Amino acid sequence: MAGAYDAAPLPLRQDLGEALNRNHERLAQPGCWLDGSQRLAVVAEARHAPDCALCQASAEAISPYAVAGAHDGLGELPGAWVDVIHRVAMDSGRLSARWYGEARRGGMLEDEIIEVISVAVQAVVIDSFTAAIGMDSPPLPPPAPGRPARHHRSDAKTGPGWAMTIAPEDAGPDFADFYDNDSHFYIRRSLTLVPQETRRLWDLLNHLYMEDPRLHELDGMERDISRAQMEFLAARASALLGCYY
Amino acid sequence: MGEDVVVSGLPHGDVLNAFVEAICARDPGRTAQARRKVVDAMGMAAMADAAAVIAAFNAYPRMADATGIPLEDAKAAATTEMRQELGLEALNTA
Repeated sequence: MAGAYDAAPLPLRQDLGEALNRNHERLAQPGCWLDGSQRLAVVAEARHAPDCALCQASAEAISPYAVAGAHDGLGELPGAWVDVIHRVAMDSGRLSARWYGEARRGGMLEDEIIEVISVAVQAVVIDSFTAAIGMDSPPLPPPAPGRPARHHRSDAKTGPGWAMTIAPEDAGPDFADFYDNDSHFYIRRSLTLVPQETRRLWDLLNHLYMEDPRLHELDGMERDISRAQMEFLAARASALLGCYY
Repeated sequence: MGEDVVVSGLPHGDVLNAFVEAICARDPGRTAQARRKVVDAMGMAAMADAAAVIAAFNAYPRMADATGIPLEDAKAAATTEMRQELGLEALNTA
């Protein structure tokens, strides 16, 4: 079966094209806490965020809390969800524990917040890539049937930031392999409260960037830019987003 | 830093910098122009690889900032002087 990214305007590395195609299908499938329709609504809201007047005004303000008002949402999702999605998409460098707490007080379960963050991030990532290569983001498939398990992980605890995560030393047998090869970086741990979802996200990121950044240069990897050029782009994108992790 | 500023010393650093800035600015016109320059200088496959890295690094920072993860101890120790010089500790919002 042809994948959505088989129609890219240039040949993509086979592994990258396959990862993009898998991700495309998964966005419409039930996740850990959201069903397919909700996940597609999160994608749509993330894509709508650049048109939000509140987000535009907040981006210009000295603090995101200096501007009052409501987001211009699409009307499919609750307000707390929309705030999470828009802020992740538009002003991630100024997210805070206060913002995270407001989402919880707004009625979101922490597990829902993490899956919403993950799906919103994937929407931004896909759209960044397609815009970069001069391709329209392909239409998403209809929502797949099925209900999310909505099972809270008892092996998760708060930390190392303000969100709950599964630490390598706490991971059960169904998840310990996620930390294979000493990949204990905090960034890999960041969204592990929803393990199946975080595996989906990393299945995409590993092919966009690399699976093991500890590699010397690009040993064994097929790339047409150098490791130094990759790290330059990584540093510039992070700085432009106001991220100093 | 804009696309007319070349400070990296990296091969094709100027066109790559213009590319990443245009994409992160969500500016289709600038992106198209920057894409052409990357393709002209480095080829189509290199442009696609650059686009992939930029896309990935539209994820990692958002994941880090949305969950408040700190620097790992080893990274913090290795970058103490640089962070002091840049005043980055003042930007900690956690």
